Amino acid sequence: MMFLRVLARLLIRGGSASYIRDDLEELFQRDLARGTSRGRALWRCWTNLLGSAAITWRARPRAARDGGFSALDFKLGFRMLVKYPGLTLVGGLAIAFALCIGAGTFELLTQVFQPRLPLPDGDRIVGLRLWHLPSTGVEEQALFDFALWRDELDSVEDLGAFRLVQRNLIAADGAGEPVNAAEISATAFRVAGVPPLLGRPLVDEDERPGAPPVVVIGHDVWRSRLSGDPGVIGRTVRLGNAQAMVVGVMPGGFAFPIAQSLWTPLRVDASTVGRRQGPQIHVFGRLAPGVSLDAAEAELTALGRAVSAEFPDTHEHLRPQILPYAHSVLSMSVGISHDELDLAGLAALLRTTLNLPLVLFLVLVCGNVALLMFARAATRESEIIVRSALGASRRRIILQLFAEALVLGAFAAVIGLAAAGSVVRWGLWTVETQALDGGRLPFWFRGSLSSGTVLYACLLTVLGAAIAGIAPALKVTRGVGVSLRQATAGGGGFRFGGLWTAVIVSQIAVTVPFPLFVWAMRVEAAAIRAVDVGFPESEYLSVRLRMDRETARPISSDTSAAAFAANFTVQLQELERRLEAEPAVTGVTFADRLPRMYHDWKLIEVDEGGAAPLDPRWHAYRISSATVGADYFDVLGVPILAGRGFHSGDLADDDRPVIVNQSFVERVLGGRNPLGRRLRYVPYARDERRTEEDEPWYRIVGVVRDLGMAYGTNDPKVAGFYHPAAGGGSLEGIAPRMVLHVGGDAVSFAPRLRGIAAAVDPALRLDRIMPLDRIVDAELQFYRFWTWLLLLGTAIALLLSLAGIYAVMSFTVAQRTREIGIRVALGADRRRVFAEIFRRPLAQVGFGILAGGGLLAVMLFGGGVTLSLVNVAVLVAYVAIMAAVCMLASVVPTRRALAVEPGTALRSDG
Amino acid sequence: MSYLGEFEQLILFSVLHLGDDAYGVAIRESIEERTGRTVSSGAIYTTLGRLEERGLVTARIGEPTPGPGRPRKYYRLEPAGARVLMEAYETMQAMAGGLIPRLTELAQR
Repeated sequence: MMFLRVLARLLIRGGSASYIRDDLEELFQRDLARGTSRGRALWRCWTNLLGSAAITWRARPRAARDGGFSALDFKLGFRMLVKYPGLTLVGGLAIAFALCIGAGTFELLTQVFQPRLPLPDGDRIVGLRLWHLPSTGVEEQALFDFALWRDELDSVEDLGAFRLVQRNLIAADGAGEPVNAAEISATAFRVAGVPPLLGRPLVDEDERPGAPPVVVIGHDVWRSRLSGDPGVIGRTVRLGNAQAMVVGVMPGGFAFPIAQSLWTPLRVDASTVGRRQGPQIHVFGRLAPGVSLDAAEAELTALGRAVSAEFPDTHEHLRPQILPYAHSVLSMSVGISHDELDLAGLAALLRTTLNLPLVLFLVLVCGNVALLMFARAATRESEIIVRSALGASRRRIILQLFAEALVLGAFAAVIGLAAAGSVVRWGLWTVETQALDGGRLPFWFRGSLSSGTVLYACLLTVLGAAIAGIAPALKVTRGVGVSLRQATAGGGGFRFGGLWTAVIVSQIAVTVPFPLFVWAMRVEAAAIRAVDVGFPESEYLSVRLRMDRETARPISSDTSAAAFAANFTVQLQELERRLEAEPAVTGVTFADRLPRMYHDWKLIEVDEGGAAPLDPRWHAYRISSATVGADYFDVLGVPILAGRGFHSGDLADDDRPVIVNQSFVERVLGGRNPLGRRLRYVPYARDERRTEEDEPWYRIVGVVRDLGMAYGTNDPKVAGFYHPAAGGGSLEGIAPRMVLHVGGDAVSFAPRLRGIAAAVDPALRLDRIMPLDRIVDAELQFYRFWTWLLLLGTAIALLLSLAGIYAVMSFTVAQRTREIGIRVALGADRRRVFAEIFRRPLAQVGFGILAGGGLLAVMLFGGGVTLSLVNVAVLVAYVAIMAAVCMLASVVPTRRALAVEPGTALRSDG
Repeated sequence: MSYLGEFEQLILFSVLHLGDDAYGVAIRESIEERTGRTVSSGAIYTTLGRLEERGLVTARIGEPTPGPGRPRKYYRLEPAGARVLMEAYETMQAMAGGLIPRLTELAQR
C-alpha cells in the first residue's frame, strides 16, 4: 500500500489530487472491512489509481501539459536510438543487465517473503497451528485441537487437515515411481476452489472409516504414469501395497497443500485420540466471508485460553495461532515463532536489505550511461543553444533529454524483463535441484514475473532514466544562458568534470575483482570434471532408495522406527539378491554418498602415532566421510592399495574398521603408515569438549585411491575415509543409494530395475536413476550459469568503461581541435601533444585499477583467502587487457586530432 | 448551456441521493451499487469540478475526520443543477416514450 501511496502522489495531478488520494485510502480500508481479500482490494485500488491518473492528467489545462512531456520528445528519443546505435547498444544492454538482475531478485524475494497463492481468493486461505512456548516450536500432534477448532470456530470455514506422505505409484507395467502425496480432508478442494479436470474431488464421504479406498491424481501423474488415459476414472491403481480407485484428475499446476500430485482421504478419528496424541497433521481453512485475519485470531486466541484453562496438563503452554497459509507452511519448516517475530516486518526488512545493493548497482550502471548521454548531448550543444534562443526553457530541454533516456530505458526494460523471467526460472530450478535435492518447491513459487515486479522494473527504469538523462541534461543546460549572453554558441562551453572522472574510475575499479570470481567458478567446475575415479562410471547405474513407512509390508507387529529400519534392510537385501541374479548385472552395492557427489565434512583427530601439521584456523582435521557396502570397492573395481577391504564381519568388530583414501594418508598422517592407526570424530565447536571423550575410536584397516570426495588440490576435504555398512539398514536416517554395474548402456536397465523393486516390495521408492558419470550434471550446470553471468557482467562493465573513455576522449579532442592544430602548426612535438592528451585517460585507468586492487584486497582479507600465483597471473593479465582496451579507446580520437591539417583546425569552431 | 453527459447525470443523481453526505467515496459507491459500474475517483472529481464551474453543484469542506486524511469535500445540488438534470431526464423520457416494448423485443433477439 505504501508503494501505491507513493505512486498516487507522483501520478495524480490537479487541484483535487489530495482528495482523490484520501479517497483511494478510504476505499481500500472499506473494501478490507467488507471482507474483500487484500489482493482484490489492492487490485481495485490500483485500477482506480491508474484511471484517476489518466483522467486528471488529461483534464489539466493545456499550458500545464505543455510544461511536461510531448509526443515529439519520445519521437526524438526513438530517432536518437537509431542515430547513435553504439550508445543504444552499450547503454541499453548495460541497463537491461542491471534491470534483469534487479527485477529477477525482486521477484524471487517477493515469492519468498510475500507469497501469493495462485488460487481463487488465495489470500483468505489460512493455516492454523499450535505453538509450544517452551520449545518455541510447532506441536504437530494436534488432532484433538483440530476437531475442537472445526466444531467451535465461526471465523474459519472448511477447516481441514493434511499429512504429507510419499506413495509409490505402480503403473500397469509393474514399475513403481515415488509420488509426493497428501492424506487430506475433502475440504481442501473446497478451500482451494479448483474444480477437477476429470471426475470429482475427494468428498466428505471418502473420509468415513470403511469407505472404499479412492485417490485423486494430479495432471502430471495422469499424463506420465497413466498415459493421460481419458477413461482413468474408476480405474484401480496400486499405491505401494495398497490399492485405490481413481475418482478424479486435478488440472495442471494444482499442487495443494504444498507440492503434491496425489491425494487420498485423511481418515483419522479424533474421538479415539487423546490430547497431544495421534498423527502429526497440519491444519488449514478459509476465513469466513467478511472476517478479517485479526478477528479470526481473536476468536482462536479466546478458544485457546479456554482450552488451556480446562486442560492445563497438556495445553498450559500451547498457543493456537492463525497465519496466512503460505507463511504457515514456510514457518512450519523453518520454525519461526509468530509470537516473537513480526513476520511482515522481518520480510519487509529482508527484502529491502537484499534489494538495495541491486538498486545501487543500477545507479552505478546508469551513472555510466549518463556519461555516454552527456557526451551525446555535448555533441548537440549548438542544437540545444539554438532551441534555448528560440524560447525553450531549461526545464523543457531537460525534459526532452529525460524523454530520450526514458525511451532507451524502455528498450532496455523489455530485454531486461524477458531475461529476468529466465533468471527466476533458473533460480527456482537451482533451489529444487541443489537445495531440495530434486524435490519440488511449494506450488505458489512460479517461474514468471508478477505484475508487482513489472511495476518495480518500470520504477527502476524511470530511476535509471532519471540518472542517465537528467544528470547530464542539468550539466549541459547549466551554461546555456551564459553562452547566449556572451554570444558564444557552439563555443565548446561543455566540460567533462570530476563527476565523470569518478564514474569512470569507479567503473574500472568494480570490474577488477570480476575475473577472479569467473576464474574461481571455472576452476571449481574443471576440478569436478577432472576428478578421475579410476573406473568406467558410465557402466554404473545409481539410484536413490527409500520406502513408504505407511504402506510397507510389515514383517512383524512392531511398528517402531527400528523395526521399520530392519524391514527396509530386509527388503534391500532381497532387492540386491534379485538384482545379482540378473544376467545383465555384474555387481550391486550401496553407499550414502557416491564418487564426485558433495560429501558432508567432519572434524577428526588421530591417535598419537604422528600426523601432518594442523591448519592453524582449525582445531582438528577437516575430512570427508561416507558409509559404503562391504563390497563397494570390489563392485566399483577399485583396488585396495594397502591393508584389506571390508568384509561382512566388520560391523560386529569392536575395533570399528575404516578404510582411508590416499589423500588422508598424505594430508592427515603426513605420509606415515596408516594401517592400524586410529581416528575419531571431534565436536565442531573448539571449546565443546564434553562429548569428545565419548566418541569411539576407529581403526584404519586399508587404503584406497581418491574417489572424488571433494574437488581440487586446495580443498582439505579431498582426504576422507569410509565406514562399512551391511546394506540399507545401517544407512538409517538417510536415503541410501544403490550402485549397479550393468555394463554397456546403464540407463536402459532402469525400467527393469523399477519392475524388480516393485516386485520385492511395492513400498520401495526409487528415484534419481542415472549413470554415475551424470551425477554431477546439475552442479556443473550451476557453475556454468554463474560463469556466464559473471562473464556477461564483466564484458558489459568493460564495454561501458571503453565506451565512456572513448566518448570523453572523442569529445575532449574535438573541443581542442583548434588548440591542437595551432600547437602542431607552431612546431610542437607531436609526441608531447599526444602524451598530454593521453595523460587523463591513463590516470583514470590507473586510479581505477588501483582502487579495484584495494577493493579486491579488502574482499580477500575479509574472506581469509590468499591468492595463488596463477590467480595473480590471471589478475595481471586481465588488468593488462583492460588497460590496453581503454588505451585503444583513447588512441583513436587522439590520432584523429593529430592528423588534422592546421588550416582545417583554424577554420573549426573549437 | 444545459447539456448534461450521461456520467454527469449519474453524478448529479448520486449527489441528490446522498443529500448532506455526498463526497467522493460515497458518490463512487452509490454509482457502483446502483449501476454496477466501477468508476475512478479521478473521473468523479474531474466531473464534479466541471459541474461546480457551471454552478450546478457547490462544494463545502466538512469537519476534520479521524485519521490522517484531510477534511472531506461535500457537494450539494444547486437549483440550477436540479433544473438541468430534470431537463435531461425529461429529454431522455421523451425520446424513449413508447419505445420500450420495441427496445425490449430487439434486445431479446
